[in-house]
Amino acid sequence: MDALIHLGNGFLQVLQPANLLVLCIGLVLGMLVAVLPGLTLVMGVVLALPFTYTMELLPAIILLTAMYVSGTYGGAFTAILFRIPGEPIDVPLLWDGYTMARKGQPAKALGWTLFAALGGGLITTLVMVLASGPVATFALTFSSPEYFAIIIFGLASVVSLGGGSITNAAISLMLGLLIATVGVDSIYGSERFAFGVPFLQDGIEYLLVMVGAYGLGEVFTRLEKGFAGDGTTADTDRRISTEFPTLAEMLRLKMTFLRSSLVGIVVGIIPGAGATVASFVAYGAEGQYGKRGKELGSGIAEGIVAPQTAATSSVGGAMIPLLTMGIPGSGATAIILGAFLLHGMQPGPQVFVTSGPFVYAVFASIFLGVIGMCVIGYFAIKPLVKVLELPEAVVSAFVVLFCFIGAFAARNNLSDLYVIMGFGILGYLFEKFKFPIAPMVLGVILGPLAESSFMTMMVSHSNDWTVLIGRPISATVMVMTVIAVVYPIQRQLRERTRRSGAQQ
Amino acid sequence: MLNRLLRASPYVVVQLAAIYLYQVAGRIEFPAAPGRIGPDFWPKSILVLLGLVCVYEIIKNLLIGETFTAAGLLEKLMKDSGANESEEQLRSYPLLLVGGILLTVVYVATIDKLGFFLATIAYLALFMVIGRYRRWGVIAIASVLGSLGLMFIFMKVVYVSLPLGTEPFSAVSLWLLATMGVH
Repeated sequence: MDALIHLGNGFLQVLQPANLLVLCIGLVLGMLVAVLPGLTLVMGVVLALPFTYTMELLPAIILLTAMYVSGTYGGAFTAILFRIPGEPIDVPLLWDGYTMARKGQPAKALGWTLFAALGGGLITTLVMVLASGPVATFALTFSSPEYFAIIIFGLASVVSLGGGSITNAAISLMLGLLIATVGVDSIYGSERFAFGVPFLQDGIEYLLVMVGAYGLGEVFTRLEKGFAGDGTTADTDRRISTEFPTLAEMLRLKMTFLRSSLVGIVVGIIPGAGATVASFVAYGAEGQYGKRGKELGSGIAEGIVAPQTAATSSVGGAMIPLLTMGIPGSGATAIILGAFLLHGMQPGPQVFVTSGPFVYAVFASIFLGVIGMCVIGYFAIKPLVKVLELPEAVVSAFVVLFCFIGAFAARNNLSDLYVIMGFGILGYLFEKFKFPIAPMVLGVILGPLAESSFMTMMVSHSNDWTVLIGRPISATVMVMTVIAVVYPIQRQLRERTRRSGAQQ
Repeated sequence: MLNRLLRASPYVVVQLAAIYLYQVAGRIEFPAAPGRIGPDFWPKSILVLLGLVCVYEIIKNLLIGETFTAAGLLEKLMKDSGANESEEQLRSYPLLLVGGILLTVVYVATIDKLGFFLATIAYLALFMVIGRYRRWGVIAIASVLGSLGLMFIFMKVVYVSLPLGTEPFSAVSLWLLATMGVH
């Protein structure tokens, strides 16, 4: 009952004109970055971060979460209509969404996408509201070994579930953890890896790592591949409309919808996975368990509903560990955590005790955001896909500038521009040699938390690390960590042995 | 052999850096307390793990010549779906990249002297040209209006104190600020 009252108050807060305006701006920006060539969802959220410096915490989080929610939906338009997936999330939509459009039913395909995004979004919001309180209460019982184990599990999942090879992801993560140690350490006050350079003594801001590696790194990578000269050649002038499925059609897909929502929420909760993994896994699950699984790829509605529902559902799932334990599960939630920290708030189990009304306002904003993004998607699809015509070189030039202004604005320090330049080049090298960036960013953000919980654990338990396996919760989480790393390696090795055996 | 060397080279670089940083970590000064681990323990542990992963990759790539590598779930899903194929077929323009990086370094080095407005006009225009965009009218309009717009948004609305430059360039920035009503 209390939750409902708090949620009602949250709606009242979000419906205030200024917050509502920020929500709408966030939704439109999220859709634009999902559609725009050369911009990814994570990059978009990074670029929006500097605009939140002077905002209050609530509108800042509303802006970023709105972008996160609508970014999982906007790219569907271009995937279905022009076979241009705005984000990796939208790749599965090419197989059935684009095929359905090519069969002369683009409006219907867009209607199914809208239904899936709306339904998946509303279900995930509901689960988030219902589950966050109990999860936070449970997390209140955690001590330093449990915390350390959960952080290690989060970091291990990022390595095993993300992009790139597992060893490259591990190297990326460890570099991120190392970057987080630069500067004066908080327990002893000792200087680490500063080499006498004044700005290194203050430590390296995670914001600079995110903006440099994600923003500049991506621009340099695309510059090397050659920007598309005049934007897309797709016919964005043609008539575009959305046709809703009938109630009977929707009911026919109820199992697909429920299954994909569940996949989305669960995958979202697991650190390191996120919307792209959810979208692919849901499509795969539909192929395996759906009634028409064998027809996937031929332009059927199930192939649209499954990935889109899961992608949008993953947002609510990812927000649960972020808000209740302060553990971001993906690049986008890492940046949202960064915004929390920049405004002096550490999400975690205490958040419902200390900032309950604020958390419910965030929930309400996601709820309204899901509805708002579908309304915008229905009425403004044509101008949204028009941005495909923007030349990539022009967009990228402005992206670089936003990166610089964002980095400079944090501390008004020109030296920071050199730091993001360095991380931009590092981000490019990472892309070039296929090292994923997300583990490094998560390592930089979670590094201080991991170190402090580790040091507290060691001090409290007389340097006895076996406490990690001597307590039920931390032991369970450590076993999950081992499984998260070992299982995919072992499975791929087995697959490879089987394949080479079959070839012989 | 050259292929093997190339494949192993990033790991060799990281390994050498890890060894150097481990030595640096050994010189971290702190008031040692009996029975307590110091501030060097955490970074040293990370460096040891980093070194082990690099050694594994170096042995695998350089000595054994093995190319198999276990992929993260997302990587595997994308690979199995063939989603990365079209991207890998794209051509490479290393000179554009070098030009873009150099231009960006010059921008960072000169912004303090030229001021945000002038440096940004030049940067935007040149970056678009390096990016092979050739609509000169669009380049001119986007550069000038873009610089003005950013200056207005950040200095008048978001209150970020962007660099004004030094004499004589600062005169331009100050005149623009006065025109925009920023004091």
